[in-house]
Amino acid sequence: MEKVLLKNIENPHSADIDEYKKAGGYRSLSKALDMASKDIIEEVKKAGLRGRGGAGFPVAMKWTFASGDPKFPKYLLCNADEGEPGTFKDRPILEKNPHLLIEGMVISGYALGAEYGYIYLRGEYPAAKDILNKAISQAYENGYLGDGILGKKTRFHLAVHQGAGAYICGEETALIESLEGDKGQPRIKPPFPVNVGVFSKPTVVNNVETLANLPYLIGIGGEAYARIGSPECPGPKIYCVSGHVERPGVYELPMGTSLKDIIYTHCGGIKGGKKLKAVIPGGISTPVLPPEKIDCPMDFVNMPKHGSMLGSGAVIVMDETVCLVKVCYRALKFFEHESCGKCTPCREGTGWLRSILGRIESGEGMEGDVDLLLSVAGNIIGKTFCPLGDGAASVTQNFIKHFRPEFEAHIKNKGCGARQEKL
Amino acid sequence: MITVTINGKEIKLEKPVTVLEAARSAGIKIPTLCYHEQLEKYGGCRLCLVEVEKMPRLQTACTLMAADGMVVRTETEAIADVRRGVLEFLLINHPLDCPYCDKAGECELQDLVEKYGPTTGRFKEKKRKAPESLEDPVLVRNMERCVVCTRCVRMCEGVQGAAAIGVINRGGHSHVEPFSGGRFECEYCGNCVSACPVGAIMSRLHRHSYRPWQLVSETETICPYCGVGCTLVAQVRDDVIKRVVPRIGTPVNNGLLCSRGRFGYEFVGSKERLTTPLIKKNGVLEQSTWEEAIGFVARRLGELKTRYGGDAIAGIASPRCTNEDNYVFQKFMRVALGTNNIDSTARTGYAGAQAFIENIFGQGATANLIPGLANADAVLIAGGDPTAVNPILGLQIRSCARKGGNILTIGHVKGVRHYNPAELKPNVHTEAALLEGVVTALKEKKGLPGSIQTLESKIKEIHRPLDDAARTCGVTEKDLAAFVEALSTASTPALVIGKEVIQSAGGSYNLLLLSAVAYLVNARIHLLSERANEQGVVDMGCAPDLLPGCRPLSYVEFRRRYEAAWKSPIPEKQGMTIFDMIDAAKAGSLRALYVMGENPVFNLPNAKGVEAALRGLELLVVQDIFMTETARMADVVFPALSWAEREGTFTNMERRLQLLRKAVNREGMEDWRIVVEVAGNMGVRMHFSSAEDIFAEITRVSPLHRDLSYEELEKSGIYPYKGEPLRGVTGDIAVAKPAAGDGGGLFLGIERPLFHSGTLSRRAPGLVKIYETAVARISPATAAARSLKEGDMVRVSSVIGYLELPVAVDFAVRDALVMITNNFEGRGALSLMELVLDPVLRAPVADKTAVTIEKAGR
Ligand SMILES: Cc1cc2nc3c(=O)[nH]c(=O)nc-3n(C[C@H](O)[C@H](O)[C@H](O)COP(=O)(O)O)c2cc1C
Ligand code: SF4
Ligand code: SF4
Ligand code: SF4
Ligand code: SF4
Ligand code: FES
Repeated sequence: MEKVLLKNIENPHSADIDEYKKAGGYRSLSKALDMASKDIIEEVKKAGLRGRGGAGFPVAMKWTFASGDPKFPKYLLCNADEGEPGTFKDRPILEKNPHLLIEGMVISGYALGAEYGYIYLRGEYPAAKDILNKAISQAYENGYLGDGILGKKTRFHLAVHQGAGAYICGEETALIESLEGDKGQPRIKPPFPVNVGVFSKPTVVNNVETLANLPYLIGIGGEAYARIGSPECPGPKIYCVSGHVERPGVYELPMGTSLKDIIYTHCGGIKGGKKLKAVIPGGISTPVLPPEKIDCPMDFVNMPKHGSMLGSGAVIVMDETVCLVKVCYRALKFFEHESCGKCTPCREGTGWLRSILGRIESGEGMEGDVDLLLSVAGNIIGKTFCPLGDGAASVTQNFIKHFRPEFEAHIKNKGCGARQEKL
Repeated sequence: MITVTINGKEIKLEKPVTVLEAARSAGIKIPTLCYHEQLEKYGGCRLCLVEVEKMPRLQTACTLMAADGMVVRTETEAIADVRRGVLEFLLINHPLDCPYCDKAGECELQDLVEKYGPTTGRFKEKKRKAPESLEDPVLVRNMERCVVCTRCVRMCEGVQGAAAIGVINRGGHSHVEPFSGGRFECEYCGNCVSACPVGAIMSRLHRHSYRPWQLVSETETICPYCGVGCTLVAQVRDDVIKRVVPRIGTPVNNGLLCSRGRFGYEFVGSKERLTTPLIKKNGVLEQSTWEEAIGFVARRLGELKTRYGGDAIAGIASPRCTNEDNYVFQKFMRVALGTNNIDSTARTGYAGAQAFIENIFGQGATANLIPGLANADAVLIAGGDPTAVNPILGLQIRSCARKGGNILTIGHVKGVRHYNPAELKPNVHTEAALLEGVVTALKEKKGLPGSIQTLESKIKEIHRPLDDAARTCGVTEKDLAAFVEALSTASTPALVIGKEVIQSAGGSYNLLLLSAVAYLVNARIHLLSERANEQGVVDMGCAPDLLPGCRPLSYVEFRRRYEAAWKSPIPEKQGMTIFDMIDAAKAGSLRALYVMGENPVFNLPNAKGVEAALRGLELLVVQDIFMTETARMADVVFPALSWAEREGTFTNMERRLQLLRKAVNREGMEDWRIVVEVAGNMGVRMHFSSAEDIFAEITRVSPLHRDLSYEELEKSGIYPYKGEPLRGVTGDIAVAKPAAGDGGGLFLGIERPLFHSGTLSRRAPGLVKIYETAVARISPATAAARSLKEGDMVRVSSVIGYLELPVAVDFAVRDALVMITNNFEGRGALSLMELVLDPVLRAPVADKTAVTIEKAGR
């Protein structure tokens, strides 16, 4: 398959507007501006494009809501917070292909009637900030941003806003709070951002990768796009693979490529010929899978049927040397640290889970601790304000579900058997 | 109509409400913690989770809007588990120090745990620690108890509008703190204290001094401090007010209080309270008995009246005393002493300004609802900071701004600076020129409505083009034009007038201009009032030219009617104003002065001059609760009962009549009773045995108060009155234009701080701890020009005296001013101020006292 999102990234000057144009860039924009905005939404609907930020929400539906709201102005926010541990799929787009994102945002803005856009950028991506700002000024100079784009009445203004390092600010309403200058905490829904978003105006939040799909989608048309990858969930998809594989990295593949293929075909299998122990398929918040369950198509629709989720498409591969109690502990440490503190179960529960896991890991676990973990996780899941807390609980539940004996052994042996063997 | 089913019960709803509200309306209880009826929805604590059919997840009842056909269950086994789980989470890091916590007994968390809670502790790790904080003068913080419900933060930001605190850090480290750390350094309204469901933020005033369940009584009464007239609840044990709290649903303040109302009650129990009557013998005030003191005063007044006539005697009534006190007192002056020499410190601004405005627009022109300000689309503020003078009214202005209303200020108004005000900052003494420009422009934009001819003829004479006004006042024409535009396009504007424009050279002219603005844009007028019963003292006829109900003495028919009611002649001759009294005392024509609940030696300009004048009197009688500067000079001092120890009514600035109720007992007499006793000893019987008796007479005599009763006031206050206002007396409008402005130099300004109110608050330790001492407040530029820095001792001198004070550098002060409060003993601003009166309002001019400032001590 030809590369769409990672096209041209081997070119050291791929971020430059001239190189981008040479490779056909901004042609879709002029095509799009000749279409009626509702026809663009129609194409997106035909394409079956789903959001790549983690939830897989149908893009056309979100846009229809926002464009149908009578309030103006409307805003388009690009979620470039990329905070999910293991995830680095948006980064190559931001750093190597910024004009693809900008072109996608102008098209999207035009489609839903938004004249202002922000890229909410992960605080830990300083290089991307400079690259994006340079690309944005180039786009302004070339008439792809600003008033009267390509000589038409269309206007779209774009700016980068850098986050300050909170994972929760990737959640769209917390992102909006943060953008407005408030503490990043999720808002009550409804009203949804499509009606009452940033500055109380209709707002669409889409992920970097989602928006970067637009130029190609408009270029080839929705029907052709829908033929790529899984029929229920089509398009190209970036999988970012880390951990114990021979060739970790970013892979653009058709949506629905099987997890097994990603690991064994594209990434060259487990490093050093070791045995696979576990895979987290879509970023740390998604349920861990044991080796026998990895033959599953990696898309939003099919992964839940196989006991996990596509999430951000961040595949974390762990071989037999890994202590899963420690991984689980480390994950909870992350959730505890990133809990925004708004709701009780997550604010108090993540820390509690972490401390129980911590004592098991360090060999001070007590009998009954595994059940206690399940009970505490059960008091969190389904009761939190936003999915972060649920994630923390479900991670705990799933590690125990698949690897309970390892936890029990830790308690019994007062520490990590696996590690002791190795020492 | 929306129909929802909760626990099988069908509930019909008129308007869209949350599931929680729907449940409560049907008597179904759902536990909550972060929910607070006055605050924005939050949905954080998760205690109110309920099951809703067709919804996959549990839903928070406090945020979910009830939709037609919704089926909700709140009492399933699963929900009970959820509640236990949430409470367990809340307790794992809780210190469980209920025996030591003042909140115990009225703590929402404690109650919830008692009802639903976990019993065994499964948490084995160390709890979070946070030391108790006593950094704040009136608050104590204990963040280990904080449940991070953010009610305090939402209260502070969304209601109080101070935005002083926030939730700092995230996750398990979340706790409430001011953004800068350390002391709150805030408005100390204590509304966060009311909001906190647990013992994390509490009042320090009653710390560890009682348990909530040991309170013996709760009395709903009216705040003694300012003209807003907030309802407060005094909670009492052992006949001591332990705490003052607001109550949701009261008409003026609806669950809110300001620092004075909440933390200023301790003066009631002060050890400095006067306890027995005192009589001066050989130059020394000595303890006496009621009989002796009353007999003495009656005899002396009788003698002096016989010798010099009633007009050689005068009375000063009090805007801090009740309507009943003031009514009896003016009747006493008129009937027993046969003089109209009765006035009050309302004369220093409020009375004259109101008379001026009512003369134009008719009686009741300033009787506008305070909460109505929140619904205005523009508020023009001139002459003071409403958030400091009348804080709860100030909140309504902030609320107006939050709803999108325009705030327009003449001068910098510190309390609304975060509300994007359109500010015009004219040079000192050029306010009138600025207003002339505004009136001229509005006249052109809006045209004359044609309804009040006398005013229109004045408006026609006003002419100052915008560019000229801008140049004269040192503002930009663009700002001025935008200001006018915002005013002229408002459809429901309000005008808030403070004392600074009244007590100004040309105060009457300022008021004419402001009235013209109000007339041209059809604005409601609110007149700020610093004393709790300033309106009442005027309405009771404590004025040399007015009878109760504000009926002019000069109208024979009125006088006759009152004479008939009182069965006594009323002298025809107008009496002396408070300032005339001081002059007459100085001149020797005034022989006796009877002061009820007032401190003229401190509260009138040129304190030394007042003191010297009073020294010449043959008889000075003072009724007060403390030994004031004036009481110290008196021949006889009567100890009066304080606001909390008696019944009566106050009339607030909206002209709302509200009932004061007795909260604590104390031996002694109300002000009115002392006067009645003195009158009786003079042979003038006043048949009053209770405040209610007096009120009954007021409602018979004063047309403004007709047909009211305590019984009716008992339910809620009466706004504004049921009787007849006076209409159609509009005569010509007299104004005195200011002399041309004078050049540079510094002038004295009176600071009106949020935390104080005249001489009362200096006996309230809580308030004194917040604002401890008088300072000379100057702008950074003034300080820099004189190489002064914060805390330097300076001598501020005027032609009549000087004060030595520490400097406070304050960006909100204008460069030409030195601001000093008039609250602290021996350090009052008024002691530096010459007495110059506006000829029309007969109010003092307070902005023309030139001062110098220099480093002290050398
Ligand atoms: C805790 C949390 C973190 C999230 N972080 C990100 C993120 O870093 N990047 C992102 O694109 N979406 C993130 N999301 C999802 C967004 O809320 C939102 O669904 C997404 O930006 C929508 O874009 P899409 O429709 O294009 O996927 C996060 C959601 C949650 C609950
Ligand atoms: S689950 Fe609650 S505490 Fe956790 S991040 Fe979401 S809102 Fe914040
Ligand atoms: S006392 Fe008032 S101003 Fe101070 S923090 Fe509490 S609510 Fe805010
Ligand atoms: S201090 Fe009180 S009101 Fe504020 S968040 Fe904590 S518990 Fe809630
Ligand atoms: S606003 Fe006035 S009446 Fe209300 S609490 Fe404060 S001082 Fe008392
Ligand atoms: S009361 Fe509903 S979530 Fe707190």
